[in-house]
Formats: sequence, structure tokens, C-alpha cells
Amino acid sequence: MKRKKVTALLAVMAMTATLITGCGSSADTQDTAETPQAAEEASDKESTEAAETSGGAEAVTIWYYWETEGHQVALDQVIQEYNASQDQYEVTAKYVPFADFKKQLSIGASADELPDIAILDSPDHASYVEMGIFEDLTGKFDVSSYYEGTVNSCTVDGKLYGVPFGVNCLALYYNEDMLEAAGCEVPTTWDELKETAKKLTGDNVTGLALCSVQNEEGTFNFVPWLWSTGATSYDIDNENGIRALTFIQGLIEEGVMSKECINWTQGDVMNQFISGNVAMMENGPWQIPTMQAEAPDLNWNVTLIPKDAEYSSVLGGENYAVINGRNVEGALDFLTYATSEEKVKFMMDKFGYISADKTIAENQFEADSPYQPFVEELNYAMPRGPLAEWPSVSDAISLAFNQVITGTATPEEAAAQAQSTIDGIVK
Amino acid sequence: MDEEKKLNGRKNMVFSIISIVILCILLFPLYWALITSLKTEQEIFQNPPTFYPHILNLKSYAAQVETGDFNMFRSFGNSFVISIGATVIAVLLAVPASYGIAKYHFKGRKLMLLSFLVTQMLPVSVLLTPMFIMFKNMHVYNTWIAAVLADATIGIPFSVLILKNYFASIPKDLEEAAYLDGCNKFTAFLRILIPIAKPGVMVCAIFSFLYAWGDLAYGMTFILDQERRPITAGIFNFMGQYGTKWSYLTAFAVVTIIPVALIFIFMQKYIVSGMTSGAVKG
Amino acid sequence: MFCAAALFSIMPAVKYAAGGWYKVAHGACYTLKGEAFMKKIKKMFRYENVGMLFVLPAFVYMLVFVGYPIIRNIILSFQDVNAGNLVRGTKNFILFDNYLELFQDDVFRTSLFNTLRYTVMCLVFQFVIGFILALFFSKRFTLAKPVRGILLVPWMIPVTVTALMFKLLFATDIGVINYILRSLHLTGKNIEWLTTPGTAMFALVCANIWIGIPFNMILISTGLTTIPKELYESASIDGANRIQTFFSITLPLLKPTIESVLILGFIYTFKVYDLVYVMTSGGPVNSTHMLSTYSYKLSFEMFKYSKGSAVANVLLVILMIVGIFYIKATTAGEEE
Repeated sequence: MKRKKVTALLAVMAMTATLITGCGSSADTQDTAETPQAAEEASDKESTEAAETSGGAEAVTIWYYWETEGHQVALDQVIQEYNASQDQYEVTAKYVPFADFKKQLSIGASADELPDIAILDSPDHASYVEMGIFEDLTGKFDVSSYYEGTVNSCTVDGKLYGVPFGVNCLALYYNEDMLEAAGCEVPTTWDELKETAKKLTGDNVTGLALCSVQNEEGTFNFVPWLWSTGATSYDIDNENGIRALTFIQGLIEEGVMSKECINWTQGDVMNQFISGNVAMMENGPWQIPTMQAEAPDLNWNVTLIPKDAEYSSVLGGENYAVINGRNVEGALDFLTYATSEEKVKFMMDKFGYISADKTIAENQFEADSPYQPFVEELNYAMPRGPLAEWPSVSDAISLAFNQVITGTATPEEAAAQAQSTIDGIVK
Repeated sequence: MDEEKKLNGRKNMVFSIISIVILCILLFPLYWALITSLKTEQEIFQNPPTFYPHILNLKSYAAQVETGDFNMFRSFGNSFVISIGATVIAVLLAVPASYGIAKYHFKGRKLMLLSFLVTQMLPVSVLLTPMFIMFKNMHVYNTWIAAVLADATIGIPFSVLILKNYFASIPKDLEEAAYLDGCNKFTAFLRILIPIAKPGVMVCAIFSFLYAWGDLAYGMTFILDQERRPITAGIFNFMGQYGTKWSYLTAFAVVTIIPVALIFIFMQKYIVSGMTSGAVKG
Repeated sequence: MFCAAALFSIMPAVKYAAGGWYKVAHGACYTLKGEAFMKKIKKMFRYENVGMLFVLPAFVYMLVFVGYPIIRNIILSFQDVNAGNLVRGTKNFILFDNYLELFQDDVFRTSLFNTLRYTVMCLVFQFVIGFILALFFSKRFTLAKPVRGILLVPWMIPVTVTALMFKLLFATDIGVINYILRSLHLTGKNIEWLTTPGTAMFALVCANIWIGIPFNMILISTGLTTIPKELYESASIDGANRIQTFFSITLPLLKPTIESVLILGFIYTFKVYDLVYVMTSGGPVNSTHMLSTYSYKLSFEMFKYSKGSAVANVLLVILMIVGIFYIKATTAGEEE
């Protein structure tokens, strides 16, 4: 019996040893199998860290989330030109999907694994400033000629934590042929809009579409309607807020806007529009290059979002931010280059964005350009926030609109619920 | 089983037909994805829907080759390497572990079993950050290894829990016979028990592979470079890009499914025969 | 708690492995604590404990990669970590405040209820259908093996793709499910599956059952092969009919397999994430949020890291309870 015990023990130990070495060597083979990639990667990583001492070009990395190919190509071109223009820094840009962007930045902040520059959605800017990962850029960039709203979105406590990349806002696109066939004028008020949408709605066409996804994208599309009544993002449970919710609810109930909108991103809405399934849509100027490329024969135009009490739109766009404690010098150098008038103009045109710099924006487009209405709409556009807790406020707003669209709450209930959530956030 | 003898004649026919019907019902979603990918966008929106593409449209497949920003084949290869790696680790660690749990009643055994279960009980959202920090410290962040290590954590507990039943079901006398033949614990494990548990081991390998294959969160969080990401990350990006452009999306889905489905259907012969013939002949 | 438990369970094995030090420890213990303690040590080195060494590598691996996150998560849930103090600043311990707040939170309650409802519905259907198919394909007809093989395909497909396909099937205007229902005159107008709270959940359950059937089928099939055929032969000699053999032989002998299948099914279904995220993202109006998706949303969309962790821990506790029942059931009757 004793002997059996010893044998068993030895056997198990041998077994464990085999396992440990076995799994170790399997990891090794893994390594060798991956050698080209892994080695390249390792040297990549080293170069990131070692380059600063070794005299080669210092690495500067950028994270961005644009999935549109045209955007990626344009940014890449500016980067290539920059890299060719000097040999101190080597900029590389990495695409991080929008749905993943916040997560990757959050995790990166915990693990101290961040890029040198992030190009992020403007309403989220304040949250990251509060996280303390952005460099104070006060005095390093002249933003005096920029649109006030865009500068506000990256300013916290009077300090500038970013540079606006470009700006956009929402306006109303309409299918000219459909409007003409139905004998409609371009709507300017909510009542006209509803009437027009009714006339345009047919068997395979719905009158109006706006992205109603329950997230920041949806909020972005809702707030122009909310603000047009005189309500603010923080004060919804009143006559004005309820009127906005009731209006959207009415569009759904009368069938002039599809409930499916709650699953349509802005890109989807645009696709529905150019496929002729939708006669009017709320959308931004960045869709124009794609629309022109994919539906060159479609007759469409853009106008201000119809108003209730006053014209209103929402300010969108991205900001550059520099991450602190990393290659700040290099990041600043690239940003100075990328925010020069020439580069800004080039990128804005390719992106279908409007320059955040007022002086550039005013002469950016021809008088009959489809972008021109957006420049006009910018005068009525307001930013979301800036507020570190904006994501939570935004969540309450998009929920309220989704509730009335799906019919799970009356406008009054939705407004009250949103208000109590918001009151809990903004004390 | 009394079903041991092969069915023949009419009974065989009836059963075969029923099985085909089951197959058609269960695989209908796949068929639908396939034909949708071959339709034009207009035909997709047609009412009533068409059950085969009236106008054959291969544009959505061509588009995937043309848009060069995402390399299908490379990400397919990435997924493959990651999944194989995770499977190897899972099987190597889980087979002895499940044997230990099944055959030895040591103290703390229940607790260990519970711990294996517990590791499966956290949603990915809270695993991502700590794992990320670990992988960064191990200098494997942004490599396949990070995804392999993370994916293996799904396969191991699963395999342990499944395999322990197989080892437990192997009669003691079989082992005793092995000892009489001069085997010790270790060689008995290798020569007798593993071959008998082979169907179980195969199933665990398959499941470990497929868990790793289907993983989205780990591959996307621990690997930043597009060139090293698994194919699931590619689909996810693609969905962000094309929203409801169904012909494109389904084409992508089909290209993702077909190769792996073929591999498994071919391997299936081996797997199923292993499953049914490798049974205990006590 | 987990940490202590883990440590406790490793301890004897570690001592055992460190064979060389045994004598030293032996001597020391002997003089210090006397015979009673030695007996205890000896007991620890029982023959049965050799088995632990088989388990150890896998156990350590899991401890390293998942043990640490679990502990970190528990600590995080008792703190107040948000965007403001994630990187710098003090992380205050607020003990159970996060949990108390959660139970006031409508979305949390909905997700808790949803997760339970979803899991139970999925489990029942996929298990029953999977079992029937496993029995059916255990008959040896010509197409049994090839067809069973192909039926595994739904399980092979990345969940992301499955979610995409079901989103297409359940689409309101172009969805084929609505078309079939209309053709059969079961509905007059298109059902808005994914944009109506109740039906969105139904669509999710359908998609998950589709994935789960092969999972249940293959595990039960493999379990069936471990039942010695002699049992069936002798049963038929004794004149038992099919139903009797099923209940007296098949079911009892499959018990461990069934338990594993159900428990694993429960755990994997309960923490569903990808499927919901792609198909509905928790919408419409939060009606399909699950604990996992809500935890993700709190952590990574709203920067409420501690609250996200607390949601995850609620999920963990529920699954722990299920897990303990499972261990109790599977190891019942064994002497410890």
C-alpha cells in the first residue's frame, strides 16, 4: 500500500511537471508560430518607448472612431504629409469603433495605456477632463475665432482641454422630387412639417425619419426638437418639454414616421433616404459626400429644422485632445500642423464638416452648395453640456423620447420620469 | 442500446425524411442569410419577399474584396490561431483536472469544483479592465497571446465540468485491470482513461474552440491593431459601418460562416464516430 | 471570501508538492504541537489528496486570470469610483450604498427580472428540444450521423452573426417571420418585433434557443453513449417497454450529464451579452436590458464603474447560489 502511494505521488508529480512544461512549451510554440507578428509587434512596442532615446522619430499615436472610409483616407493623408514634412515625430492613427471608444479610453485610463491624441465626440469631452487624462492646452492654441459652442465643449473651469476638430449640426433634408409631386412647399414650422409629411407618406414611403436610437446618437437628434420649444436639456417636465415629446409621438401615431427609427442609426436613416423609402430626414452634413457618391441622381436639398417657438439645432463634431504624461510635445506639434488653415480646409471638405473656425467656415462653401444651409443652421445650434455627467442626462432624454415613440409612456409620464432622473444628477 | 442494430427499409426511410425536415427548419435562418446576400437591395425590400434571388447580385461579395480597409482572410487566420491556442491550453489543463476531480475524493474538492463554476459567473464587462491591466504587465497586450489566454478561461471550466462526468462513468474495474497489467496511476491515466474519454475530450476541444471562435469582447479589447483582430471584431465594425444594408451584412456573415462550417462538417465524421463508437464497453 | 477559500484549498497541495520540506515541517510540528497536530497533517496527505495535483494547474490558471478580477470587482462595488476618481483622487468606500441605490433603480429591477425570465424560457425550450433530437439521432438510420453533424452549425456561428441574422428575420417590413405569419393569416399587419417591448424579448429568446439546441443535443448525445448497452438488453429481456426503460435506465444514468448541461446552460444564458447587445442593445426603452448589458452600460457608457460592478456582483451571487446547489446535487452521497 505504501509503495502504491509513492508511485502514485511520483506519477502525479511527473504528470504535473509534464503539464507545466507541456503548456509552457505550447506557449513557446505559440510564440514561434507568431514570430513574425509578435516580433514585429514587440519591436513596435519597443520603438514606441525606446525611440525617444534612440534618436529615431518619436511615435505619436492617435485614436479616432470614424468608420467612413473617406474620413479615414483624409486623416491618413494629412498624417502622411506631416510625417514627410519633418523627421522628429512619426504619427500613426488607429481606428477604434465608436461603440468601443468610451470603453477603450476608460480601460486605457485605468491601465495607463492610452494614445497621445484622441479625437473624440464633443459631448463626452467634459467627462474625460474630469477623469484627468487630458493635458491643459490653455494658451497653446488660438481659438478666439472658433465658434463659441465648440470651444465651450472642450473648456472646463475656464481652462482649454482640447481643440475643436470640426463642427457639424443637424438640418432637414428633403427629397425635392417627392415634395414637388405632392405639391408641397418646404416646411418651416412643426405644423407645416407634419402636414407635409402626411402628404408625402405613401405605400412604400414614410414622410420623415430621424435617428431615434436610445443612446447619445438619439439624444443628438432629439434635442433640436426639445430646444425649439424653449425647454432646456435639464428642464423637461413642463409645457414645452411635453409639447416636444407629444409632437414626436404624433408623428409616429399618424404613421408619418416609422417606429423602426429606434433601430436606425444616422447612417441607416441616410440609406433609407437615398433608397427613396423616406421623403425627409433630419441628418448632418457629413452624409453629403456619401450621398453624392451613392445616389448622384437623387434630387434633394437641405433646409433649417422646422421650428416650434424658435429655430434650433444641435452642435456636433469632434475635438482633439492631448493625453497628459505621454508624448505631449509631439502631440502639440502635430496638432499645430493639423489645425493650420490649409489642412483644416482640406479635411473639412473631405469630411463634409464645417470648420470650427468661423473665419474659415464663412468662406468655405459656394452660395449654392448643399452645405450652405448647415452654415446658416450653425447660428441656431447649441452644444450639449458641457457637463461631466452629460452621459447620464443624455440617457434620460433619449429614454423619454423612446418611451413616447414605442408608446410605453405618455409624454407627461416620460417628461416627469426624465426630470426626476435629471434632478438626481444635476443638483 | 436497443437502437444498436441499424434500422432498415421503411423505418430507415421515414427517419431519414424526418431528419431532413428538422434540418431544413433549423437551418432556415442560414438559408435566408445566404439568399439575402445574393439579392439586390430592391429585392430585399420587395413585398412579398422572394425565396430565391430573382436577380443574382454578387456586388455585395465583390465589395468586400474591393474595400481594402479590412482583410477578411487575415482576420480569419487570426481567429483561427487564437481559437487553436485557447483550445490547446484548455484541453491540456482541463483533462487532468477533471480526472482528478472525478477519481479522487480529496478535501476541498467541492470547493474547487465550485471555484471553477464561479469563474464563469462574471459578465465580461467587469473582467475586461483587470485582465487588460494584467496583460499589459505581462507585455502581451495587443497580441494574439492576450486573446488566447483570455479565451482559454472560458474553455477550461466548461471542459472540467463536462469531462468529470466521463471519467466518473468509467468503471473502476477497468482501472484495476490496468494496474494488474502493470500500469501505474499515471500510465493508466494516459493509456486507458484518456482513450476511453476520447469522445468527451473531443467535445471539450470543440466547445473550447467555438467559445474562442465566437468571442467578441476579449479580442476587441485586448487587441487594438486591426491586423491582429479576430473575425468577430471585423463583423462588429462592419455592422457599425453598414447599419441596415442587409445585402452587405449578410454577405459578410456568409463568408464568415462557410469556411468554418465546412471544416466542422468534414471533421464531424471523425467526431461523431468518436462519440458513438468510443463508448464504454465495460 | 473567494480568496480565503482558494488559499485554503491550495494549502495542503502546496505542502504536499514541497516534498523536500516535509521532514523539516514534520520535525518542527512534532515538537511544537504534538501528536494531534501530526495526525491532522497526515490526514491531509491522504492518498486521495494526490488528485489535487491533477487539478492544480487548471485551478491556478483560473485563479490568476479570473480570481483577481473577481476580487477587484468586489472591492470596486463597495467604492464610489466614477470618471472623477478613476485615475486620480481618493476612492471612498461607501459600502452598500451602490447596492441600495440599485434596488431603487427601475432599470436594474427590469434587468434582473428579464435575466431570470430569459434564462428560464431559453433553458426549458432548448433542453427539451435538444433532448428529443439527441434521442432521435441515437437511432441508427442512414442520415443520422451526417444530419446531426450539420445541425451543429448554429452553434459554430459567432453569436454576433447569429444576432444579425435574427435581426433580419424579425425585421418589421422585410422580415420573413412577419411574411409567414401574414400568409398563414395569423396576423393582419406586421408585428413590430424588435421595437415593441414584449416581442423584442421573444425574439431574443428565439435566437438563443436556436443557438442552444445543438449545445444540448451534442452533450446529451455524448452522454447517451456512456450508457452500457447491456442494460438495455437485459431490460428488454425483462419485458420493459420503451417508456419504462427511458425512465428507469436512460434518465437516471444521464443524471450527471443533464445536471451539467442545465447548469452550464444556466450560467452561459444568464450572463448573455453579445446577443442582446447586437440585437436590441437593451432597448426598446430598456425593456430587454439584462444584468450583463446593464452592467456594461453603467461601466462603459455612463462612467459609473462602481455601480456597474455592483450589478455584476448581483449576477455573481445569483449564479453562486445556483452553483452551490449544483455541487450539492452532483456530489451528494459521496463521503467527503
